[in-house]
Amino acid sequence: MEQKQLDNLPSDLFRPAAGKGDLERIGRPSLSYWQDAWIRLKKNKGAIFGLVVVILITLLAIFAPILSSHTYREQNLALSKLPPKIPVLENIGFLGVDGKDKDGFDVYKAKNVKEYYWFGTDDLGRDQWVRVWQGTRISLLIAVVAALIDLFIGIIYGGIAGFYGGRTDNIMMRIIEILIGIPSLIIVILFILIFKPGVTSIILAMVITGWTGMARIVRGQILKMKEQEFVLASKTLGAANSRLIGKHLIPNVLGPIIVTTMFTVPGAIFTEAFLSFIGLGIAPPQASLGALVNDGFRFIQTYPYQLIIPSIVISLLILSFNLLGDGLRDALDPKMRK
Amino acid sequence: MLRYTLQRIVYMLITLFIIATLTFFLMKLLPGSPLKSQDKLTPEQVTIINEKYGLNDPLPVQYVHYIANLAKGDLGLSFQYDNRPVSEMIAGRIGPSAQLGLQALIIGSIVGLILGIIAAIKHNTFFDYGATFLAVLGISIPSFVFAGFMQFVLGVKLQLLPVALWEGFIYTIMPTIALSGFVIANISRFMRTELLEVMASDYIMLAKAKGISQSGIIIKHAIRNALIPVITIIGPLAVNIMTGSLVIERIFAIPGLGEQFVKSINMNDYTVIMGTTIFYSALFVFIIFVVDILYGVVDPRIRLAGGKK
Repeated sequence: MEQKQLDNLPSDLFRPAAGKGDLERIGRPSLSYWQDAWIRLKKNKGAIFGLVVVILITLLAIFAPILSSHTYREQNLALSKLPPKIPVLENIGFLGVDGKDKDGFDVYKAKNVKEYYWFGTDDLGRDQWVRVWQGTRISLLIAVVAALIDLFIGIIYGGIAGFYGGRTDNIMMRIIEILIGIPSLIIVILFILIFKPGVTSIILAMVITGWTGMARIVRGQILKMKEQEFVLASKTLGAANSRLIGKHLIPNVLGPIIVTTMFTVPGAIFTEAFLSFIGLGIAPPQASLGALVNDGFRFIQTYPYQLIIPSIVISLLILSFNLLGDGLRDALDPKMRK
Repeated sequence: MLRYTLQRIVYMLITLFIIATLTFFLMKLLPGSPLKSQDKLTPEQVTIINEKYGLNDPLPVQYVHYIANLAKGDLGLSFQYDNRPVSEMIAGRIGPSAQLGLQALIIGSIVGLILGIIAAIKHNTFFDYGATFLAVLGISIPSFVFAGFMQFVLGVKLQLLPVALWEGFIYTIMPTIALSGFVIANISRFMRTELLEVMASDYIMLAKAKGISQSGIIIKHAIRNALIPVITIIGPLAVNIMTGSLVIERIFAIPGLGEQFVKSINMNDYTVIMGTTIFYSALFVFIIFVVDILYGVVDPRIRLAGGKK
């Protein structure tokens, strides 16, 4: 009965639904993974602050020692222990960069120095501005190279373990488990004792224990990825293992890899500073941030700026890397897309 | 549970054995000997002294002796400090280090938990951002920079606390704070994440539906469950305090184990380096063991899975 009524409805009661074409419209531009991540990163104020500071400090570390008329090892005992003095900022009292020492005595006037030493000079009359940036350069170099080697070994080791699985994976993971059981700092200390402190030995010592973290992350991601359909499809089409790993799996686990590297760098900066502190760091006249902080402690009561300036730089550097890493972790996670 | 514990103990012993072996052979690669002024000694005297330290035997024999002595707790004699037994030197130094480490761990955990809980409850408010910012600072600022900052401000400028040395409780305040910064930051971050996750789960919704008050839910249901994973990071944090103590004890001139270790590195006192390394490693491995067992006790899923996480 009801059905019949519906069948007899006159056709003039119907009209086409409005805006049919609109349903097919793509609501927002299609974005690649990286564009999408960049948009998310830009929204994170902390991460952008970190990015800017990291770039700024890196530029200073590269160019400040080149552009200055002094070198990091040039000594001038007549000009030792000058407090910092920066043009323009010297007029702002509380910053303490007016060339006066802690008792308010204008050392520049007394010694008749016309030049401005922005970060002052150390006890041997070396320009702290150049030394701080030279030290940053060494610290960054050590950290970045160590992180890159970690990355390289970690991807290969983790990739093989995760991809082949089974017994290979089992043995490879047992080895890592034992390595993790050994306190890394102990290995680092012993290693440097044997191979004499220096940039290369510090990097190698950090790599020996550092790569395990990356390997575990890569393995975990690969294990998760390789069960997915697109890998099966590629395999069915006859792709070789090397192609599967290089073309499909690694690009898909790039996000966590980048984030892990971002956190490795500040860790390495810290470890280097720590080694300098216990007397196993870079030998003078070379400087690293840790060595400068360590030297600064001797003058904490008399010339505190020698401690404060490198301390601020190292803290700012580590902080920026951590903020950037935090931001990248959120930005590179596709699940965070809104 | 027994099976799980036994398995962990076996793992622990294997790791310790590898560490001891590794340390021994690495130290043998090092140049130097216990003789301070070798040029002035006759060859006979050199032989006698080497005999005393057991350095005339072939390497495998030295190794067997070393492992056998180690099992008895004998770490050898110091090269520099007039033949004092290393184990005695460690025992004499452990007090201040243990006190500092425990204080930092306990205070750091309590403050970190409180900060993390506040941040999670007041999610996305000023408190949350404040606590998160503090956590990032705590992770980023190295303990020695923080220590230097405190020495300068509290010690030199304001003269509230003694700058260094070890003569009573007041001397422990600055080093404890310096060591606990990292602990506070990590625990608060971890606790915040865990608590937020727990608060979003179904049984919390059920509790809410049953009409339990907000504070009742948080104290009785949320915090207790969020605490379980926090136990896992106690191990790494304890290790961080141990390594941190190396520099902090040096900065504050505290007569602890870390200070002695750094000194022995600078003086090439190989037996002391070796002994302290093994002691630190044993402590580290033991802490990991305790944490694993504790985790098995509080979370039945771990021990049922046969120790596989």
